[in-house]
Amino acid sequence: MKIERILAIASRIVRQFLRDRRTVAFLILVPSFVMGLLGYLVNQERATYEVALVNADAGVTLPSGAVVCLGDVVAGALGGESGLHVVAMTPGEAQDALAAGSIAAVFTLPGGLTRDVVTGAGASIGLRLEGAQAAVIQAVSMSAAAALRRCPQLLQDALAALPGAPSRAVPVKPPLQLDVSYLHGGADLGPLDYMASAFIAGFVFFFVFLLTCVSFLRERSSGTIERLAASPVSRGEVVLGYLGGFTVFAIIEALIILLFAIYVLGAVFVGSVWLVLLVELLLTLGAVSLGILLSFFARNELQVIQFVPLVIIPQFLLGGLVWPVETLARPLQWIAAVMPLTYAAGAMHDVMIKGAGIGDIAGNLVFLLGFAVVVAALAAAVLRREVA
Amino acid sequence: MPVLALQVEGVTKSFGRVRALDGVDLEVRAGENFGLVGPNGSGKTTLLRLLAGVLRPGGGTLRVFGMKLPSVAARQLTGYMTQTAALYEDLSVRENVSFFWRLYASGRGRSLRAKVDEVLELVRLTDRASSPVRTLSGGMRQRANLACALVHGPRLLLLDEPTVGVDPELRLSLWEHFHRMNATGTTLVVSTHVMDEARRCGRIGLISAGRLIADGTAEELIAGAGAADLEAAFLHYARKSRGEGGEAA
Repeated sequence: MKIERILAIASRIVRQFLRDRRTVAFLILVPSFVMGLLGYLVNQERATYEVALVNADAGVTLPSGAVVCLGDVVAGALGGESGLHVVAMTPGEAQDALAAGSIAAVFTLPGGLTRDVVTGAGASIGLRLEGAQAAVIQAVSMSAAAALRRCPQLLQDALAALPGAPSRAVPVKPPLQLDVSYLHGGADLGPLDYMASAFIAGFVFFFVFLLTCVSFLRERSSGTIERLAASPVSRGEVVLGYLGGFTVFAIIEALIILLFAIYVLGAVFVGSVWLVLLVELLLTLGAVSLGILLSFFARNELQVIQFVPLVIIPQFLLGGLVWPVETLARPLQWIAAVMPLTYAAGAMHDVMIKGAGIGDIAGNLVFLLGFAVVVAALAAAVLRREVA
Repeated sequence: MPVLALQVEGVTKSFGRVRALDGVDLEVRAGENFGLVGPNGSGKTTLLRLLAGVLRPGGGTLRVFGMKLPSVAARQLTGYMTQTAALYEDLSVRENVSFFWRLYASGRGRSLRAKVDEVLELVRLTDRASSPVRTLSGGMRQRANLACALVHGPRLLLLDEPTVGVDPELRLSLWEHFHRMNATGTTLVVSTHVMDEARRCGRIGLISAGRLIADGTAEELIAGAGAADLEAAFLHYARKSRGEGGEAA
């Protein structure tokens, strides 16, 4: 062991790194960027979910002639929860809104609520959840439980305030209960079921992007791109050829991940496999195009890897894989709105958990196709600038 | 009037602030064996890349068999052998050659196989046809590289320092290929910085600092410079082009 030789190697590495300005900038800026994004996401205020309230409580007329309707008290308790934005609806309106996905849940107060509470029989409040997003289910359920915990005291106060009420307050027991049901999925769905769909999309995008980026970089570093440029092949043909070749592998990859998720991990799947593959196909076209485009901005494999925290991680964080896009802060939602993974993960989720049809995810498919076409055109344009 | 394989008029090309070509004029007749001779960095490769259609000139025009570049039809008639072997390492020699053939010609199956066999025979790689390129020696790579450049039967072959780093035996055999192709009518443009190699070409263009400073047969150039050999002649013309007078060595 000679310290001089070790120092020679160490100083050479430092010198080499300093010479690669991109890598230096990467080491300084990217961790802050990713950590900042993550911190912003984790610390953001709890989202507010729009829920419907169907208040069917008929109330009761007390012997004193006073009419008491405890449904209003429960409605008030729910409305007081910061995580909920309660809108009164008829049963029909609420059902439509839930099916359309414009509300997260419907609370239904039964017609006999007041009667049952006053007679001490206890009452059940219906909570029907849209059920496709684990995070939304959790947030709404927590808000509902908090509201219900405050209800016995509120009901007792309301009863005590009635004219002619007994001096000793009637204890409300047993407390109100939630009768939870789901439009999609349900209580038996675990985190895996909710995340599998999005992660299938995410992994396919990740692998295909990385493979294309490195392959195209090699095409340049090995000089074969020069040969292609000297041949009658057009730039468009090169990009389309790449799309064709990589799509084959991406579809196989998507199938493997999908089958593994369903049969080995037991993820729920109620939709069409063909539709899932169509989403993957369009996502792949975007990933290959993006890989070709960004490969022009990398000199070596190390610089390709540097694209991962810039291109892949934000899409994993913001694309609805972990947190639903609707719950993100407004500026993050704008970023999510231009990322292909947002649309792919959303479509996969709807197909796998809700059994959505092609019409339901048409908007997502159009965005994915548009993204692929625009990025492929950009890649062809940059290719033209690079060679000939 | 003889058919011109190449017409280069006032061509310039810069990379950032570096002027690689500074007003090059050149004509090469069809069927000629033309050597482009100059030191490293003189602009040889840039000129070949322009002729191959890989780069576009900053100014001036280039024509290949009368077709103004860029032209897909001209590319179809041109074969380009890059300085370092540009091959797909994981594919076999046959797969590489077949791939490049398919970029130029339509046709698969027997016609493709026959054509590839013929070219592999020519570069003496028949017994290594199925070997992945990454397992080949430097000389074999260079031959596979050549095979890819000539598989589509180009009428103009651009060879960028084809014998750099090649052992004497292979160099001899490569030049045999080149001369054989030239004898069957293929126009050759060969770049080199080795004066000895240049003598294998029928006509030589001397290039220095992005400019064509003289052209003619080796004998004409030597005689014109009053020099003892081609190297001395080159130095004479290079000094003259820089305005330093033309003392022959």
